[in-house]
Amino acid sequence: MIAQAGNLIARWYSIPLLLLIWQAAVGTGLVESRLLPSPAQVWSVLVTEIGNGQLVYHASVTVSRAFVGYTLAALIGIPFAAAMARSTVWRNLFEPIFFLGYPVPKIALFPVFTYIFGIGTPSKIAFTFLECLYPIVVTAFFGFRGIQTRLIWTAANFGASRFVILRRVILPAALPSVFAGLRVALPVAIIVVVITEMIGDSIGLGYYITIWSTRFSFSHVYAAIFVIGVCGFVLDQALMLVRRRVVYWQREVA
Amino acid sequence: MTNKSTLILNWTVPVLALVAWEVFGRLDVLPRYLSAPTLIVAGLWELAITGELFVALAASLYRVALGFAIGTAAGIVAGLGAGMVPGVRHFFDPLVSLLFSIPKIAFLPIFLLLFGLGHASKISIIAFSVFFPVFIASRHAVLSINPILVWAAQNMGTPPRTVFFRVIIPAAAPQLFSGIRIGLAHAFVVLFAAELIGSKAGLANLISFGEEWVRFDLMFAGIVCFAVLGFGSDRILMAIRRRVLKGHLIGTEEQALQ
Repeated sequence: MIAQAGNLIARWYSIPLLLLIWQAAVGTGLVESRLLPSPAQVWSVLVTEIGNGQLVYHASVTVSRAFVGYTLAALIGIPFAAAMARSTVWRNLFEPIFFLGYPVPKIALFPVFTYIFGIGTPSKIAFTFLECLYPIVVTAFFGFRGIQTRLIWTAANFGASRFVILRRVILPAALPSVFAGLRVALPVAIIVVVITEMIGDSIGLGYYITIWSTRFSFSHVYAAIFVIGVCGFVLDQALMLVRRRVVYWQREVA
Repeated sequence: MTNKSTLILNWTVPVLALVAWEVFGRLDVLPRYLSAPTLIVAGLWELAITGELFVALAASLYRVALGFAIGTAAGIVAGLGAGMVPGVRHFFDPLVSLLFSIPKIAFLPIFLLLFGLGHASKISIIAFSVFFPVFIASRHAVLSINPILVWAAQNMGTPPRTVFFRVIIPAAAPQLFSGIRIGLAHAFVVLFAAELIGSKAGLANLISFGEEWVRFDLMFAGIVCFAVLGFGSDRILMAIRRRVLKGHLIGTEEQALQ
């Protein structure tokens, strides 16, 4: 019991330690509290802003934008990757776009997106879609490519139709890679939505951060950062839950 | 399918898109903010002659290079340390798992406040966001090294320094590179956002100036430069990776692709 507690402290001491140093630095006046509010201040702001619904509202805007763009990217990207992996023509047509386009920083295109889709929600969703599409397609593509042909031959030999092969052999074999890509794309979705909201919007957590930093109330900024972190964590856990359900035969790594 | 028809198919979509863009742009079918590709090239030339392009490029390149270098170095040192020393690992693990899911760009106002609107705030936030993927990759790389390799070296009386440089570093290198590559991608995203939100120089500013002056050809010229910069950096990193990992890639799919 004591050993267990000691183990717990040895593993988690750094967060409370830094919080204590932070609180002490502000409390003793070493750092001006307007620039770096103490954890206690941040906490009280967090509680009030969640209580009056402000943070909840902006967080719901950010999360729903990220979710819609991400879901669209998954719904279109996964079949697209499957088609690219299965058809040579399709692959040759689109492979350069995805593999050469992958390392290009697409964020620079965001100004163009605001012209095409306007400054509000549609441009954020469209841009999130684009940014998520790349990791989802590229990772899923390798999953669909990497299927051992003897599995398909065996199924075909037993008289399975093309649809049955797709449904019962190809899809299950590719699913772990598909989920790996989905997991990579999830934080990307949140990052992109927050950044684009910071660049220009009037709702969402990114806007909330920008507006409160121009008002020099950094407790609000830290509170919003905390909320973003919680949202990211919850969404990732939700995705892992789905993965455990769908890919029940394989445990995730890390 | 022959090599030639593969090549033709590879180029179909990009070339068709460019030609369609040019033709419809010239016919004024496209909205005005989509300047035709030839106009973009002309805009690029104009910026190059006035020298504005190189000033902006130098500012952006300086920020991203220094920030990336600092973040990578710190991430590797801390990550290798965390992988080898449990005490270091226990210090960093809770912090990293807490901060990892937060887009680092959210800290931008705080960095702007601490370091001002100049180079320092961009460099520090780039370094901050590069640190995390590199740290996670190097920590994980060291922990996943087969301990038998280390034991074997130690058993033969290898001094710790040699074990570190000849066993741990080479075994961790492939994963290190994948972390660094993710870090590089993050560096450019953060660079763009940081320059756009709070800065007076750089490629992102060139892009937003193009918007303000309603010179969409200049805006696209900036976008093209930014994309080329990001793409080129990634290519350079991958070339370095191929050289360093020469021995690792034998027999893998990647070598077969080359």
